[in-house]
Amino acid sequence: MPTPVSAARQCLTEEAARVLDDAVAVARRRSHAQTTSLHAISALLALPSALRDACARARSGAYSPRLQFRALELSVGVSLDRLPSSSRALEEPPVSNSLMAAIKRSQANQRRHPESCHLHHQIIQGQQQTTSLLKVELKHLILSILDDPIVSRVLGEAGFRSCDIKIAIIQPPVTRFSRTRFPPIFLCNLTDSDPVQRSFSLEVSGDENSRRIAQVLLKKTGKNPLLVGTCAIDALRSFTECINKGKGSSLPAELAGLSVSSAENDISEFVNGGGSEDKLGLKFKELGSAAEQCSGPGIVVNFGDLKALIEESVSGVAVSFVVSQLTRLLELHGEKLWLMGAAGTNETYSKLLGRFPSIEKDWDLHPLPITSVPFNDGFCSKSSLMGSFVPFGGFFSTTSDFRIPLSRTNQSFTRCKLCTEKYEQEAALIQKGGSTSSVADQYSESLPSWLRMAELDAEKLVDVAKTTDDPEALNAKILRLQKKWNDICWQIHQVQPKLDISHARFQVPSAEDFLLSANRKEGSSKDSSVIKSQHANPSSSMPTDFQKVFPFEQDIQIPVASAAENRNFQSELLDKVSKSQQIEMKSPWFARYPTPNLSLPPDCASSSPVTSVTTDLGLGTLYASASQEPDSSKISGDKECLQNFSGSVSAEVDAVSESTSHQVAPSSSCSGPNMGGQSDIRDFKSLRRFLAEKVCWQDEAICSISKAISCCRAGNGRHRGSSLRGDIWLTFLGPDKVGKKRIASALAELMFGTKESLISVDLGFQDRVYQSNMIFGHNEFGCSGTNFRGKTVIDYIAGELRKKPHSVVFLQNVDKADNLAQRSLSQAIRTGKFADSYGREISINNTVIVMASMITKGDRTFLSSKEPKQFPEEIILKARRYQMQILMECIAGDSDRSNGMNVRVTPRKGFLNPKSVNKRRLTETRDSMVQGEIFEMPKRAHKLSRSYLDLNLPVDDLEDIDYGDCDSDSISENSEAWLEELFDQVDENVDFKSFNFDALAGKIVKDISLKCQRSLGTKVVLEIDYEAMVQMLAAAWLSDRNRAVEEWVEQVLCRSLAEARQKYHLTAQSALKLVTCEGTFVEEQAPGACLPARINLN
Amino acid sequence: MGNTLLEALNVRVEGSGQKFLVLAHGFGTDQSVWKGILPSFTPYYRVILYDLVCAGSVNPDYFDFRRYTTLDSYVDDLINILDALKVDRCAYVGHSFSAMIGILASIRRPELFTKLILIGASPRFLNDKDYHGGFERGEIEKVLYAMEANYNAWVQGFAPLAVGADVPDAVREFSRTLFNMRPDITLFVSRSIFNSDLRGVLGLVKVSCCIFQTTRDVSVPTSVATYLRDHLGGRNTVETLDTEGHLPHLSAPGLLATKLRRALSR
Repeated sequence: MPTPVSAARQCLTEEAARVLDDAVAVARRRSHAQTTSLHAISALLALPSALRDACARARSGAYSPRLQFRALELSVGVSLDRLPSSSRALEEPPVSNSLMAAIKRSQANQRRHPESCHLHHQIIQGQQQTTSLLKVELKHLILSILDDPIVSRVLGEAGFRSCDIKIAIIQPPVTRFSRTRFPPIFLCNLTDSDPVQRSFSLEVSGDENSRRIAQVLLKKTGKNPLLVGTCAIDALRSFTECINKGKGSSLPAELAGLSVSSAENDISEFVNGGGSEDKLGLKFKELGSAAEQCSGPGIVVNFGDLKALIEESVSGVAVSFVVSQLTRLLELHGEKLWLMGAAGTNETYSKLLGRFPSIEKDWDLHPLPITSVPFNDGFCSKSSLMGSFVPFGGFFSTTSDFRIPLSRTNQSFTRCKLCTEKYEQEAALIQKGGSTSSVADQYSESLPSWLRMAELDAEKLVDVAKTTDDPEALNAKILRLQKKWNDICWQIHQVQPKLDISHARFQVPSAEDFLLSANRKEGSSKDSSVIKSQHANPSSSMPTDFQKVFPFEQDIQIPVASAAENRNFQSELLDKVSKSQQIEMKSPWFARYPTPNLSLPPDCASSSPVTSVTTDLGLGTLYASASQEPDSSKISGDKECLQNFSGSVSAEVDAVSESTSHQVAPSSSCSGPNMGGQSDIRDFKSLRRFLAEKVCWQDEAICSISKAISCCRAGNGRHRGSSLRGDIWLTFLGPDKVGKKRIASALAELMFGTKESLISVDLGFQDRVYQSNMIFGHNEFGCSGTNFRGKTVIDYIAGELRKKPHSVVFLQNVDKADNLAQRSLSQAIRTGKFADSYGREISINNTVIVMASMITKGDRTFLSSKEPKQFPEEIILKARRYQMQILMECIAGDSDRSNGMNVRVTPRKGFLNPKSVNKRRLTETRDSMVQGEIFEMPKRAHKLSRSYLDLNLPVDDLEDIDYGDCDSDSISENSEAWLEELFDQVDENVDFKSFNFDALAGKIVKDISLKCQRSLGTKVVLEIDYEAMVQMLAAAWLSDRNRAVEEWVEQVLCRSLAEARQKYHLTAQSALKLVTCEGTFVEEQAPGACLPARINLN
Repeated sequence: MGNTLLEALNVRVEGSGQKFLVLAHGFGTDQSVWKGILPSFTPYYRVILYDLVCAGSVNPDYFDFRRYTTLDSYVDDLINILDALKVDRCAYVGHSFSAMIGILASIRRPELFTKLILIGASPRFLNDKDYHGGFERGEIEKVLYAMEANYNAWVQGFAPLAVGADVPDAVREFSRTLFNMRPDITLFVSRSIFNSDLRGVLGLVKVSCCIFQTTRDVSVPTSVATYLRDHLGGRNTVETLDTEGHLPHLSAPGLLATKLRRALSR
């Protein structure tokens, strides 16, 4: 889990990173496996640093500084020696978690106290910068490292206290600044409404319990505390001691001078028969008069542990006397007298209450739960840590000490040479009073957009300043400039150069345009030439297609001024577009897939639409020619950059885009239908052919799928706002789970090259338990529930999408989606961005999303159950990989031979034997909620088909179906509404027919019959068990090849039948039975089908 | 005062609905621990989330070592938050440490809570004469010492142990939040947790409680759940979660969410 050094370094300022490097070097020298806080301390001490300096100031005066530093070095060295060294020397021992945590903590601390950071951080924060760019300064890093217990121990060994060192670090050595110390901000300060609490928390030392007892004492009613809890007795004792030892100062002012008198011993003596009533009465009288006479607020009578009053051995009369006496005492002197006691458990108190029901009222008791022993009990106070941290709470808020004068920051900051030059140029310009916008403007374009906005603001400021021409303003300007260049330099040349390049690359083309049109409408040729030259640099690393695009752009920008010219140009461009279109038509149809890429966000598309069209066309060819993964993924990543960027810039250039958008709109919209008309047919046909090859039985569905997809890709698809969306949404409704899955995977193969681009997720996986050896089990059927254990479904999907943005997402049982997934999907279909549970969004622009559900859109009923079937899909889905065997038995007559066939299928057990059905139902009800894509169908379908017993669901178990999803009705209704809404938004709802298993069964039986006659002769009857038939059907359904089962019959079944004939002496009366061996599963699978490779003979 | 407190403890109110639901995280985590569960409740409840003052996401300056010596100060915080939000009735889901806080809060303000759901709760972690809390005092001392000596190693050992179930993501998440805490605060809080004993006061709880217990929890033996059920004063049920570990909301959020929803609707 340790963090690589480079990652850690990114969180640090230069100075702090140097320390980290030193620490890494120390760790390497000692060949330790990780770089820890100790290494950092060692590195810090080796050089004259803030820490060393602070230590020097914090040390106690008892020893000579040299000696104490020597001791410190020694103890650090010894602790380092104790660390285990790793077997192999690492080049850069990674940063340990504790050190990384220290870095993170200091980062958080800096974020909380932005005023203490460098100036550029402020700017960054102002622009809502992500935290990752917040660099930890050395001082904060040291402070956090000192928090590490192991470090404070090492320091302690050398006689330093880490809290002293911290104070020394925070407080600068030179006392230029006034040392104003604000009181620490504790939460108690915040709770102003409660004066007692506030006055207390700053004064009471440690004992929370005492504080709360005092709180009760101050109340008007229920003012007599009864401490309840295992530690109550201790708390009571501790409070008594605290008061009587004269530490009353810790009490609130109202209670100052309070005293506690214990009546505990007298009472317990009395109830155990040790004294007379008179004696006790006297005692109480004394107490009463003491209360009257006392000058302070009064006295607290401690009656001790309630247990004394309820024990078996004590006499009830005595207890009654005590209670009545105490009650009277309170009545007489209630103003100045409190009662206080303790009960070990609540039961003790309840027992007393049982005996004296009115005692709570009479004694005015307030049960006070006590949950821990007083803190200074020895259990905790030993910790050296605690002491060292206590005075430290509020120091971070002493802001005045942190403020470093602005100018100093700037001076200490070294710009790189390039930036300095530019800065000087610009400063000269300002001094001359010339335009300020030139260099920095262009330069800042290569900054991340957020930063640039800041720059623009700064620019404005400068402009304002320009109006007043006095030298002061000039100075200010120069200062600002200086700062700006520092920031720029900082951002570009010292931090993450990689990132900037990627940004720059894409900002150049579009950002330039905006600025050109917005700021300098004159669009002088000089400007554009500057830009051109700028383009040259970054684009050298770009794919060639992109480069080609740039000239276009330049061309467009110049004529923007005159509309007529512009239109001309557009038509010219259109020609070009259509030409390239034609060229591409010749390439395989999927070359045209990337047209969805057109759908850049509206702002971008409107401001330079023609450009983006060409870009995408260029990309299109690239896709077609190069199916290599890396290429395409890189481009898509880049494109995302571009999109992101354009989003962020859009705000600035609203006005511009508005003015251009209407010119531009025709170009994109007219190009759509044009090429659409052409490609539609080709696309459609090839799609349909390809899909039909894979799934031959879903003609209508395939037809509508192909139509929808080719339509979407031709650009007639979804227009969200003004832009075209690249994501295609389909729903596959109805039965035929296998067909749907196979079509989805065929789509993936067809559109994105490989079957791997299918992301298949079963949203109903949570409710499902797949038993092993089911044919439609886990991996075979892509119910990848196991893959995302511990993740939410949408996080899994998002993760996969991130890995392969070009893919088909196949969501099974979409009706089972949980709230999170529902929300994410609704959002995705609206915005084209899929958000994971952390809110991170991924563009689904290149994704086809297929949502499958067993429900159908119209009537929401289960199609297959409308008429009874011999082999309904639900049964097939439950098929298992059983081993098969052939049994021989004799039959009485040959009445069974019908239709001239000697092969028949036994009817399902359920039809014959109601008992066994019931037995099975028990298990199957569980299965069926769990199984398949059956949404709420079991219930409804069952209502329809009750008379058929079709679903194997017992009537009386109906209610149980719902117990799996314990959601209340409102929830499921809710999800129904959600589904409906979602289905209304998709590109196409495709209804699937149910797979005709009965027909297939007939075909298989016929086939077997034929082959059987060939090998066994006409006389022998073969009976195929229902389960065996189901298994064969399942295999046929699932198999990729049409003839898989036929081949199996030929190769496996016939061979076995032949063997059987040899083994048994078959007569006309004998019948062979093909049955499944329940409980034993297929060991060896036949090639191409989920059927056993051998059949056992009995 | 209210707002400052709400800000300091990162109080959030999410979702729509009539009823309030408080999700209170346990020791070593912060409110982000509920993110897997939260979406299941936002449509039906106004969910109140906050960080304990000891959580890593709260400014450590707010942690007053003198004040947070017992659980009562945490209870103060909770009640202050609910008062500041003007909540008059709410359901409370507390995990581990927060379960203890919930118990105490419901003793102090029984009218405030409709129901307590206690996940991985324990009135006392240390063993006693006739009580099995799961830890011996000696063991605890050792653990605390280990914490002090090498926080890093301790977290790495403790996180997988606490999460229990084999869910690497959950371990990573728990380690993250655990590391976020300042080590000295972690140490201090764990001392006060191990130091507390709620057994005597359980009977004072009048609110009905639902105790969620996973099949195997390193911090809380199953006998503790039974103990809680028998000793809490209200109407109590024990719900066993078919998963392992002390942090079911991290390791099995889906399962927990459904169970919670059912428990809340009862």
